Amino acid sequence: MIKEQSIFLEKIQKEFESDSEVQQEALKMLVETGLPNKKSEAYKYTPISKFLEKKADLSLNQPATFNENDRYNTEGSHLVIKNGRFSSEDSIIEEGLKVRSAKISKGKHDPLSLINTVLSKEEIHIQASGNLSPIFIYQINSIGFSNPRIKVASEKNQELTLVEKSINLPGTFINSYIEFDVAANARINFSKVQAYSSDVIAHETVFVKQSRDSRFFVNTFSFSGEVIRNNVTINLEGENCEGHMHGLYLLNGNTHVDNNTSVDHIKPNSYSNEVYKGILDEKSTGVFNGKIYVRPDAQKTNAFQSNNNILLSDDATINTKPQLEIWADDVKCSHGCTTGQMDEDAIFYLRARGIDEKTAKGMILNAFASQAMEKVPVVEVQEELMLLIQKNLY
Amino acid sequence: MLEIKNLHASIEDKQILKGINLEVKAGEVHAIMGPNGSGKSTLASVLAGREDYEVTDGEVLFEGSDLLELAPEERARLGIFLAFQYPVEIPGVSTTNFLKTALNQIRESRGEKALDAVNFLKTMKEKMKLVDIDQSLLSRSLNEGFSGGEKKRNEIFQMAMLEPRLAILDETDSGLDIDALKIVADGVNQLKRPDNAAIVVTHYQRLLDYIVPDFVHVLYNGRIVKSGDKSLALELEEKGYDWIKEEAALEA
Repeated sequence: MIKEQSIFLEKIQKEFESDSEVQQEALKMLVETGLPNKKSEAYKYTPISKFLEKKADLSLNQPATFNENDRYNTEGSHLVIKNGRFSSEDSIIEEGLKVRSAKISKGKHDPLSLINTVLSKEEIHIQASGNLSPIFIYQINSIGFSNPRIKVASEKNQELTLVEKSINLPGTFINSYIEFDVAANARINFSKVQAYSSDVIAHETVFVKQSRDSRFFVNTFSFSGEVIRNNVTINLEGENCEGHMHGLYLLNGNTHVDNNTSVDHIKPNSYSNEVYKGILDEKSTGVFNGKIYVRPDAQKTNAFQSNNNILLSDDATINTKPQLEIWADDVKCSHGCTTGQMDEDAIFYLRARGIDEKTAKGMILNAFASQAMEKVPVVEVQEELMLLIQKNLY
Repeated sequence: MLEIKNLHASIEDKQILKGINLEVKAGEVHAIMGPNGSGKSTLASVLAGREDYEVTDGEVLFEGSDLLELAPEERARLGIFLAFQYPVEIPGVSTTNFLKTALNQIRESRGEKALDAVNFLKTMKEKMKLVDIDQSLLSRSLNEGFSGGEKKRNEIFQMAMLEPRLAILDETDSGLDIDALKIVADGVNQLKRPDNAAIVVTHYQRLLDYIVPDFVHVLYNGRIVKSGDKSLALELEEKGYDWIKEEAALEA
């Protein structure tokens, strides 16, 4: 296969000067595999390479300042990361939490994860002991192409809640990477809020490895930006795990959001549940691709997936594709997707009780959207999401 | 209160109502009976303002105003209430929240102040007794996972909350066992006042044992072909609808 020429890759190669073996290795792999091309199924609807070539403006460099108004007004740890570097002076760290800048260690091997490995300035390690209050991560990105990289380690039986909010300045391109190592019987809940300015491009990778009896929840909320691509990968490496993925994309304007998810059942008796909801207005586009793998060993797997969409305009588009690959025989798997307009019968029912049309529609959409918030454990985040839902619906 | 004159309505070019004339005065209960497909539910839907139907001729006056010109919510605010044959399930919207919004929009349209939480709850408690409905049901998503009986009781509960001038019950008895039927009928009877009225649409006479109508009309093939008092309902129960169809055929 002849690889397409990439100015972006050439530039990376030319400017690369790290003596880290991991980064050198990653660069080698990246150059070998190349960027996703037109034929790569995973990026069929989101031509990420085109954006990398044209929009990753390496000369852009705006000052990164943390605005106190962006801080959730609640106790817990508040970690501020500026263009991939941990800023201890802006952060509040609860006792029992260790945050440190570490050398880059290996990560996932897909092209965008490799780019992150190659270009990251530091790897931020988050490690908690015991059950702590929520950990809020604020990512401030102000340069042309930012590659923040975080690894979260957990201990056995631990319960952790993390919330990530990115504040991406106009014109920035983010390629973030976060990895979770979920220890045996640990329970981690991670929520992401994506409300970006309309020219931001964000490629965000969440990579989760779960040990036996652990539970992981990821809640992804996308509201605005030019292009958002979420790669969520959950590997259920132990027995008796639970992996939960919830998502909401509530879009208007020209926003494009692509949720690419994968859950891999490797050992027996695990459960995964995936619920993504979309409301698309104006000329927005959505993509949902949900893969479920059930390996030969993973008997007694329960895997569920659903993706429901409401299109509010004739110009909005959704592409949805469930993908199941099952090698075990004693499993329960189901998937379903729906796409449609608003339920006219429901609107009429509310109006027949005296509620005006606009309020009726708002109530129905709000209820539809709010269901995606059920697993978000922090009230302040729920409140913020409610406001964002309201703002994007009217 | 309500005057229906020569009402014609169609759906997707199929003519369903072919000239309905009916007058309902305050304090009256009218039963509309008829075989399946005669247009009973269409009439109920057209009165409530469902947009799937096109009114091709005739007029409907409610307390003097032209009902057909009004949006469904405007009709509701004037005091028209449709108890749905198939109440819609709306996930994520609780009955309580929905009724509060409805009640306050209706009050606002009449220049009344919105009910505060305390008074709303008080009213709700009162009306809950009327139809023997449980609080836990009302905090759940509207009609979602409700049994057939629970859905219909919820309809009558909403009616009790909104205190309409004209209630239209569309086959409220369908799918109900006799106990649920009694509860629903009791609720309707207790809400009866000299200044309101009801149109009870039903296929069977059974409901009319409990809600006693002042007038019974038989709808067939889009027209009211016979009117009488409650004894007409008993006659229909005994003889079925075939003789009505035959009579109608002779007249045509």
